[in-house]
Amino acid sequence: MQDWLPERGEITEVVGRLSSGRTSLGVRWLAALTSRGAVTALVDTDNVFDPTSAMRAGVDLHRLLWVRCRGRRDTALCAMDVLVRCPGFALVVLDTGEVPPRLALTAAFRLKLVVRRSDIALVILTRRRLSGPAATVALETMPAGVEWAGQRPRRLDALRTSLHPLRPQRARHPVTGEASRPARWRWSA
Amino acid sequence: MTRIACLWIPWFTAAAHLRSEPSLGDRPLAVLTGTSPAARVNEANSAAREHGVHPGMAEAEARARCPQLVTRSVSEVLVASARHAMLDAALGVSPRVEDGGPGMVYADIDGLGRLFGDDVAIARRLLRAARAVGLTGHVGVAGSRTAARIAARGSQSITVVPRGDDETWLASASLDMLELPAALAETLARWGVVTLGALATLPRNGLAVRLGAVGLVAQAQARGEDREPFVPYTPPPFWEEAQGLDWEIDSWPALAVVVGTVLERLCARLATAYVSADVLVVRLGLATGAHDERMVSLAYPSRQASAMLSLIGLEIEAHPVAAAVTHVSISAHAVRVTPGPATLWQPPSPAVRDLAAVLARLAALVGRENVGSPVVLDSHRPDAIMLTTFDPSSGGELAEASGGEPAPRLAFRRLRPPRPVDVDAVSGDPRGVRLRADRAAAMEPVVACAGPWRASGQWWDERAWARDEWDVAFADGLLCRLSHDRLTGHWYLDGAYD
Repeated sequence: MQDWLPERGEITEVVGRLSSGRTSLGVRWLAALTSRGAVTALVDTDNVFDPTSAMRAGVDLHRLLWVRCRGRRDTALCAMDVLVRCPGFALVVLDTGEVPPRLALTAAFRLKLVVRRSDIALVILTRRRLSGPAATVALETMPAGVEWAGQRPRRLDALRTSLHPLRPQRARHPVTGEASRPARWRWSA
Repeated sequence: MTRIACLWIPWFTAAAHLRSEPSLGDRPLAVLTGTSPAARVNEANSAAREHGVHPGMAEAEARARCPQLVTRSVSEVLVASARHAMLDAALGVSPRVEDGGPGMVYADIDGLGRLFGDDVAIARRLLRAARAVGLTGHVGVAGSRTAARIAARGSQSITVVPRGDDETWLASASLDMLELPAALAETLARWGVVTLGALATLPRNGLAVRLGAVGLVAQAQARGEDREPFVPYTPPPFWEEAQGLDWEIDSWPALAVVVGTVLERLCARLATAYVSADVLVVRLGLATGAHDERMVSLAYPSRQASAMLSLIGLEIEAHPVAAAVTHVSISAHAVRVTPGPATLWQPPSPAVRDLAAVLARLAALVGRENVGSPVVLDSHRPDAIMLTTFDPSSGGELAEASGGEPAPRLAFRRLRPPRPVDVDAVSGDPRGVRLRADRAAAMEPVVACAGPWRASGQWWDERAWARDEWDVAFADGLLCRLSHDRLTGHWYLDGAYD
């Protein structure tokens, strides 16, 4: 799971609350692709992206197009629509913030077709499910603890999170129906 | 063994003026200096020379010899443009070219055989490139610049001297081909030396004693040896084309014809060197003696004259010129555009034209100041960042070269601007934070915290800052960063780790 990257031509949703590792996962994928020379884009609805921490995570900022939407959710969707229609981007990340916009099911499936045609990996970082069944992969991130180091002053060492697959259904065991074991992540501060 | 091709344009000044007015075709043309009636012929093309028109002749005499003669005043700008155009054309064939003076360019064609074929094929390519920028000339190929120059001045459009035969081939050439100083040429003529072969066989020591260094240089040239090193030409960042007008133009439709002609010449030059323009600088000389200069940025690098003409037209219609125009000059900032990824092993990237369109649409949606590549500034001030123009080709080295993918790192979501919060601090440590703006809301208890991490800067001016940072965890798992402004005493929520 650590080396898994969103598939091109598909929509991947990462659902989670704050401090669940949702953004770190998106930044991780941006780092993995930009370091290989791919061109990526981030639609930042609430203008919360921190380039300093992203650079420390390995993102090549030259290969990242940052679109700041200053809280305008519909504009963020329009910006994402413009980006996914431009072949050549390896990954487009839409960070919807804490109050995600509404996306009609028909619009979501239209988006899926566009993404498939332009062969772009679209990742949606969101608080709740947005694109419904149009997303090929949906993952839920959950906090699993904080690690501190040192005595006084202490310092934040790492954030532990877990990753639960929500889609596709085959993520569940085909016979027992049990959900597959969640992946554990440790994000160094 | 070195192979040099020499591209020579006969009657270069006349050719430069013909280039700006292709409609003149094969009509006899004389370029004049001075003003009438004292005007004299500076240069004449081959059609005029057939009628006996030669440089130095008075205009009246030239017209008497050739009644259908077309005359133009000499324009240094046109000559300079044509000279650069020649060099650009040669650059499209060979990466190493040398400016040999007006109408003369040397190209190092050593090793180009695998790309283009034999010497004749390379010479043909050079001629085609010159023709593409509006110049017709001759090409000579030899092992040295002297031999190549003499070969180019032959009657054939292409003359190739066999490899290693420079001295033998030059032996029968007239001494006049070297264009020696008059005194030296006279001395050699007095000795009965009339061919290069005769000069090449003179005893070297005796020649040095009698004629000095000038004589030795002349002998080396006669033997097909280059004494001076090859000086490669580096194209300037801006490529210029200009056109002087014999009349004044005060409307855009009329000016568009001239601007279009200049742009076509400019784009032909760009095309021969396989580069494009991303910025155009249009300079208009006005009848009042003033100059009007404006810059037109292209959305994506291009060498399409029609698109450039439309953009310049829009610019001039939006901001009309103050007076009638008497001179047009256009400079293009040349950039090399790679059609795909920079290397074979890099993933594909958006096409330049598509990317420019996407950036323009995004700028229209969210504002130009909200689209670009983030840049982290060299400062300890929190959130010291800026946005620059998105240019993926300027990225750093790839992961394979830098040692693989990095380890998972925690990302931060930053509140802009930081949100002021009420903090219940005990001996400096935050114990509770009111995250909501509502004063009646309860304090969220802090279950763990780390800090303070002290930072300050710019104490030397009004933008001084000093703060303590705390990483705090709440009972619901939320992990935030608080900052305490030590100058004002206020607490802020900087953002959350996620």
